[in-house]
Amino acid sequence: MIDTMFGSLFGMVSSPQIMGLMLVAVLIGLMVGVTPGIGGRLSIALAIPFVYGMDKVSGAVFLLTMHAVNGTSGQISSIMFGVPGDGDDAATTIDGHPMAKKGEAGRALGASITASGVGGIIGAVVFAIMIPVLEPVILSFSPAEFFLLAILGITFIAFLSGGGNIFKGIVVGLFGMMLATVGLDPVSGVGRYTGEFLFLWDGLSLVTAVLAIFAVPEMIALATRGGSISKVSMATAKYSWRQLLDGALEVPRHWWLVLRTSVIGAVIGMIPGLGGSAAAWMCYGHAVQTSKTPERFGHGAVEGVIAPETASNAKEGGSLLPTLFFGIPGSSGMAVLMGAFLILGIQPGPAMLTDNLPLVWTLIWALVVGNIIAISILFFVVRWAARLTFVNGLILVPFILTLVVIGAYVSEGQWQNLVVLFVLSLIGYGLLKADWPRAPFVIGLVLGKVAEDSLHKALDLWGPGFFLRPLSLVLIGLIAATVAYAVWKEVGTARQRKAEVA
Amino acid sequence: MSEMEPVKAGFSAGRAVGFLAGAIFAFAGTPALAQSGADFYKNKTVTYIVATKAGGGYDFYGRLVAEYMQKKLPGSTFIVKNMPGAGHLIGANAIYASKADGLTIGSFNTGLIYSQLIKLPAMRADLTKMSWIGKAASDPRVFVIAKQSPIMTFDDLRKQTKPVNFATAGVGSAAYVETLIIARAMNLPIQLLTGYNGNEDQLAMRRGEIAGTGGSRSSMADFVKNGYGRFVAQIGGKEKDVPQLETFTTDPKAKTLIALVKSQGEVSRLTVGPPGIPADRLAALRAAYKAAMEDKEAQAKVEKLGRPLDPAIGEEVEKMVKEALDQSPETVALLKASIKKKKRK
Repeated sequence: MIDTMFGSLFGMVSSPQIMGLMLVAVLIGLMVGVTPGIGGRLSIALAIPFVYGMDKVSGAVFLLTMHAVNGTSGQISSIMFGVPGDGDDAATTIDGHPMAKKGEAGRALGASITASGVGGIIGAVVFAIMIPVLEPVILSFSPAEFFLLAILGITFIAFLSGGGNIFKGIVVGLFGMMLATVGLDPVSGVGRYTGEFLFLWDGLSLVTAVLAIFAVPEMIALATRGGSISKVSMATAKYSWRQLLDGALEVPRHWWLVLRTSVIGAVIGMIPGLGGSAAAWMCYGHAVQTSKTPERFGHGAVEGVIAPETASNAKEGGSLLPTLFFGIPGSSGMAVLMGAFLILGIQPGPAMLTDNLPLVWTLIWALVVGNIIAISILFFVVRWAARLTFVNGLILVPFILTLVVIGAYVSEGQWQNLVVLFVLSLIGYGLLKADWPRAPFVIGLVLGKVAEDSLHKALDLWGPGFFLRPLSLVLIGLIAATVAYAVWKEVGTARQRKAEVA
Repeated sequence: MSEMEPVKAGFSAGRAVGFLAGAIFAFAGTPALAQSGADFYKNKTVTYIVATKAGGGYDFYGRLVAEYMQKKLPGSTFIVKNMPGAGHLIGANAIYASKADGLTIGSFNTGLIYSQLIKLPAMRADLTKMSWIGKAASDPRVFVIAKQSPIMTFDDLRKQTKPVNFATAGVGSAAYVETLIIARAMNLPIQLLTGYNGNEDQLAMRRGEIAGTGGSRSSMADFVKNGYGRFVAQIGGKEKDVPQLETFTTDPKAKTLIALVKSQGEVSRLTVGPPGIPADRLAALRAAYKAAMEDKEAQAKVEKLGRPLDPAIGEEVEKMVKEALDQSPETVALLKASIKKKKRK
């Protein structure tokens, strides 16, 4: 076992061809990740023609690395401009962008880049440890648990990120869940709120919604306010290498959180059906819930950057598990990756462990090494990139809005999404102006569908008593505890305010 | 070139007549006609619409067909455009509505035949009128039972007294419609649970929540090969390892429905253009499609992926589609009833 493990690592790093391919893959993965609307799924689909000529190991390492580092660069625009590339990055925006406004873009980027790298590496470790217990863990999550996990995630964010006002969080969260019902009813197949529009049959485009709720309002605010994204000047912010490094050091400072969110992220990634964005959002919620000072979140808490970033890279290791050993892909990106593996002559299934163990280890190491390469490249690049937050906003806004419009179009290839972008942007700007939280909207939209779909399935399978399963009861306990904690906290703040007034 | 004259005249007389004339001439399959069409494609760009997102089966076959048709039509450039959404309807409607100049063709799910049969309002494409170029594969349908279930054969399934849970994608999806109409026609004790998209049915079978599913053989092949389940019946296909479903019934009504599903399985991974593509260009497209499917390199690519390849060209596909769409009012009524809202038990 140990022989194979390190033999694979040595085989990989000693081959200039594989290392060269990895470098190219990391560069492509990072570039694709930085552009909103283009996901890892598309990049793999487009890269498939190039792997025809490669051997098994090179091809698999190339594609996996490209996919794995995709989430590492999406955070750059989320933090600096409030422009998330997809659903996962939106979670990073909530605290990352306020940090940039405070002149701490360097610190936020340092923390997020390190966090994603470390998350990716821990995800690979979780992958290796989980192999023996893969079956029982994956098979213990049924639609009943999916439903409760989704409700738990929504509860975390709605109750805790309202900035001391539960009511606002719940209203926005429910609004997100309501918009999640747009599309064909999963049970009856009847169109809901779709009118005559075919493009609404599959529901609202998540990328469009995320760009409208987060990116556009920030840009309008920046343009009307004037000045640069960072409200303090470069000199006052003491922007330097040191800030980046300081951000990076936030990761070991919060090592316990990093470990937990990486493991949670990897496990969520492992369970097919919950969806990739769920990992980042659940971990963001977990960070808020376990924080002693949850009121800091949404205003530039570094934990709010670290948690979703570790999760979104850790989930890559997790989602590779069912793909490789069950032949059941954990996400749509993994489904495309699995197709590419077949081209290379790798047949996913339980036999991978017995016949192809060296390859499995090579893939685990590819996740580790790929993440390290990505961190190194980004550290070098973002030093200059972060300076953009000190540039006059009027120069930046047109460029970024163009990027946003392109992102909303290319993610689904439908012009109608530009209308949706416009309408939702108005709502997003309204929320920003009125100082209402925007995060619950996105989590409601992301998890609302999972919640509805799995509730239907659970009811079909077990009837109304479906939540009496042991794992379900634990999750219900967590939901109740979160609600109780939030209410208790709210009552406490209200009393304090009264006391202050008196 | 003498054959060209009547075709041109036919077009000026109207689209429908032109199409008929075109079909007749294409059927004659004159090489000269195809050659004059092939000349047209020099320095032209053809858009190939795939009705799904990039990645996945439809995208794979679409890109393969586009790549090799470009090779077989000298001087042409094929670009693939993904137009996903609404269960292939957006892509299908777009192909149907495109200009019939032979520069836009594409691919979508054959299951839209059901949508046309029940006259789904959102389905604007009329499959009987479209310019059929070819199909790349056959994908027989199978009934799969999970490993842990005591049901070993199709007869066991029929003898169950309690309803057996079967997973399927959403109401109205081709898999749902097919499983439901067959279960009803053969009085199978099947309880259909919907909303299992992609591979979710396989995972649910592994968890033991559901006992079986109906689907295409190629999508379930690995699941069965890995020992997680077994095939108990098959509709269509040349494989001999699974009994054909039609051998389990003598009822003519059930046989008609099985035949409908069988014809669906035969026309898989189709390539089609809008109604009224000029006959010479359609002939050239069909010739290029045929040559693409016979290309050794293309065949090797399909084989490497373990995907099925069983091509048919032009008129043959058109005939299959028209036959599938020619159903009795009873069958159509049954189909319509099957997509009605399900009652919660």
